[in-house]
Amino acid sequence: MSVDHAHTAHHEHPDAVGSRNRLGVVLILVADIAFALSVLFVYFYLRQQNVNGLWLPKASDTAAATTPVAVAGAWYVTIIAALGLVTHRYALLGARAKNQTQLKLGSLLALVASVVALAYQVILMNGTSFTITMGAYASCYFLIAGLNVMHLLFTVFIALGNWNRSRLGIYVADHWHVDIVNVWWIWMTVSSLFGAFALSFK
Amino acid sequence: MTTVTNRPASAGPSAPKKALIERLSIITGLLLGIVGAVLAWYLARTFLPVNTDGSYIKTRMDQEVFIAMIGWFVGFMTGIGALIGPFRWLLGKDLTHDETLFYAGKDQGVKRYFRYTTDHKVVGIQYLVITMVIFFVGGVLAMLIRTNLGHAGGNWLQPQTYNTVVGLHGITMVVGAIIMITGPFGNFIMPIMIGARDMAFPRLNALSFWLVVAAVPPLLSSIWLGGIPTGWSAYNPLENQAPPGMDGFIMAICIFAISTMVAGANITATAVKMRAKGMTWNRTPIFIYGVVASVALALPVFPVFFLSQVLSGLDRATGSTFFDVRGGGSPWLYENLFWIMGHPEVYVILIPALAALMEMAPVFTRRPLFSFNLAIMGIAGISGLSVLVWAHHLYVSGWAPLLNGPFMLTTELISIPTGMLFLVLIGTLWRGRVWITLPTAAIYAVLFNFTIGGITGIYLSDVSADAALHGSIFVTAHFHYTLMGAGLTSAIGALVYWFPKMTGRMFDKKLGWTAFWITQVGFNIAFMGMFMVGLAGQPRRVGAISAFYDKGNSITTMGAYIIMTGMLVLLHGVVVSWVWGTKATQNPWFAKSLEWSVAYPVPLENFDVLPVVTEDAYGYGKAQS
Repeated sequence: MSVDHAHTAHHEHPDAVGSRNRLGVVLILVADIAFALSVLFVYFYLRQQNVNGLWLPKASDTAAATTPVAVAGAWYVTIIAALGLVTHRYALLGARAKNQTQLKLGSLLALVASVVALAYQVILMNGTSFTITMGAYASCYFLIAGLNVMHLLFTVFIALGNWNRSRLGIYVADHWHVDIVNVWWIWMTVSSLFGAFALSFK
Repeated sequence: MTTVTNRPASAGPSAPKKALIERLSIITGLLLGIVGAVLAWYLARTFLPVNTDGSYIKTRMDQEVFIAMIGWFVGFMTGIGALIGPFRWLLGKDLTHDETLFYAGKDQGVKRYFRYTTDHKVVGIQYLVITMVIFFVGGVLAMLIRTNLGHAGGNWLQPQTYNTVVGLHGITMVVGAIIMITGPFGNFIMPIMIGARDMAFPRLNALSFWLVVAAVPPLLSSIWLGGIPTGWSAYNPLENQAPPGMDGFIMAICIFAISTMVAGANITATAVKMRAKGMTWNRTPIFIYGVVASVALALPVFPVFFLSQVLSGLDRATGSTFFDVRGGGSPWLYENLFWIMGHPEVYVILIPALAALMEMAPVFTRRPLFSFNLAIMGIAGISGLSVLVWAHHLYVSGWAPLLNGPFMLTTELISIPTGMLFLVLIGTLWRGRVWITLPTAAIYAVLFNFTIGGITGIYLSDVSADAALHGSIFVTAHFHYTLMGAGLTSAIGALVYWFPKMTGRMFDKKLGWTAFWITQVGFNIAFMGMFMVGLAGQPRRVGAISAFYDKGNSITTMGAYIIMTGMLVLLHGVVVSWVWGTKATQNPWFAKSLEWSVAYPVPLENFDVLPVVTEDAYGYGKAQS
């Protein structure tokens, strides 16, 4: 148990704090990467097993056949995410060069990209010809797309925060937060790419 | 260094209005959690469409239960104050210095234990208390199981109730065992031991604890929602066919998995980045290695467990078919996902437990740890191999018979690094002048119990022996010898060892020794009896047992009651020592590690001036034998 009386504050160098924060984010990403790789394992395992021929069920008296989605949509989402990563990187370079205009512009563009990617992913999910109950492929498709939606929702949150904080001039002296957000953007884009890659195998 | 003044007292009519973070506590958490659950349930009941798609599994009840539990979770975490930090970051209004101090629990007395407090010492005590509560609940459930099996035929509990009791006992004890070392001691002791002022991410530290609390109501709700008739492994298709109580189990596991991942990142980053100047890896105490290996191992494996429960939840609530063969799913997929976490989880429990013993052994023999490098090799070897052994749980399932041989090999190989840790402990004790204390006795007890647990594990890793023993209560006895005989006994030793630093009091010797001997005797009676009936073929998870197994079951039940007596004495000892115990000196064991260099009560930021380490933690000189 700790004492409650007079307290002395101890300050650390921003680089020490920033480097520690980045390691923390990378470690949390290890967990998220393990989760995403497990999702891919589920996809390829069920695809390879094709239990009872129900990976993609054929038409029956009561239900239509499950038709795979056009994979181009998943790649478009990944491309938009990659554009977001590039614009965030542009913002980060601005932060490092103490160029506030570049930082604000890059952050805003990254925010827009994350919102567009999220909206487009949701539209894609609503446009499928099947529901989640129609076989293993359908279940896996919604799992991968759902994971992407979760990632993009989180990206919108941090891109919004990043842009707002850039706008308020919080990153004038210290670019570590922008740097750490960049780590997330890289992983989010790679994760989206993993999903698009998996869905390319129908 | 900057000195700040104390916060002004907020009393009297002119006192400033309380800030939001000062109003939040477990009370507001519970209130908002309940409101969130009721509101979410009402909305789900009102607006969810009727199921018309003819899916095999999903029920409206499952959907409503899941949505209500999500409502609980969001409400509770909002009410406790977990979302303030992220939203303040979003708005660009970072916490002020005073607010950070408030979060750290400054000037709040006992109230800080019921708030989203970030001070690692508070979180350590919170974990200690919740671990004891979890073990108490799990212990009561164990006594219900043993009482039911104490006489032929069982049937004291209804079959479904019995199954639920077994499942709840399993999951509560596994959760308790996972947090029993890294929770209390990893949080309270580790930062001081490495010479840090706090954990790397204090708010994540509080988050990891309150997530465990948030997982409790969903798990307990399963009792009133039809139970969890699957055991803690929750195999499919049983899980898919279970009543809505299963939804509580799934939700609890998902929340707990997030807690474990958050804690894993936090503890690892703390150990890597915040060690005191001069504390090279060769001078870092072995306990730190154990804790870091445990949580770092949890980082990649718990997400897989998390996914297995997400998929089960989706199958139950949306009608997806991941595990349902009628829709192209596979129960084998579940078994793989579950055991990819399920077996490393044993080492997540055991590595820090053994590391705590290795930390204590040099202190009580006054000699260096026998081969520090061998200990690290052992820990690394166990961590690495543990992720390559999961399929020995699937030998008799029919999944990939060609892989049985390789998995038997990897499983048996893991006894080598485990043996290294045994050698380190025995080598440290060997011909030493041992100071006999309860922690030392725990080391001897663990060496005895874990030898039995380990050797019986080798039988189970053997494909042909496992064909006979799989599904029998022999397996239950084996893992109790490892998790309880080794894991819990280590944790009790660690509790007595670090009790003076955490509470300022010595653990009552008489009560400690009484509890230790009663528990150890009861434990060996109970689980030797269980080995007997297991070898004779008694199946596990069956409540109504033939009279053929009566003798062994009676012995086991008698042993279980003896364990219960010992545990109650231990609990009594904790309370008595904490409240009325003899006041401890700063370093009652004359240990050399850094946590003993600070006085009780430990200051808010642990050290006024950060220490500089100039020698290893085990420089007690050569053995005096």
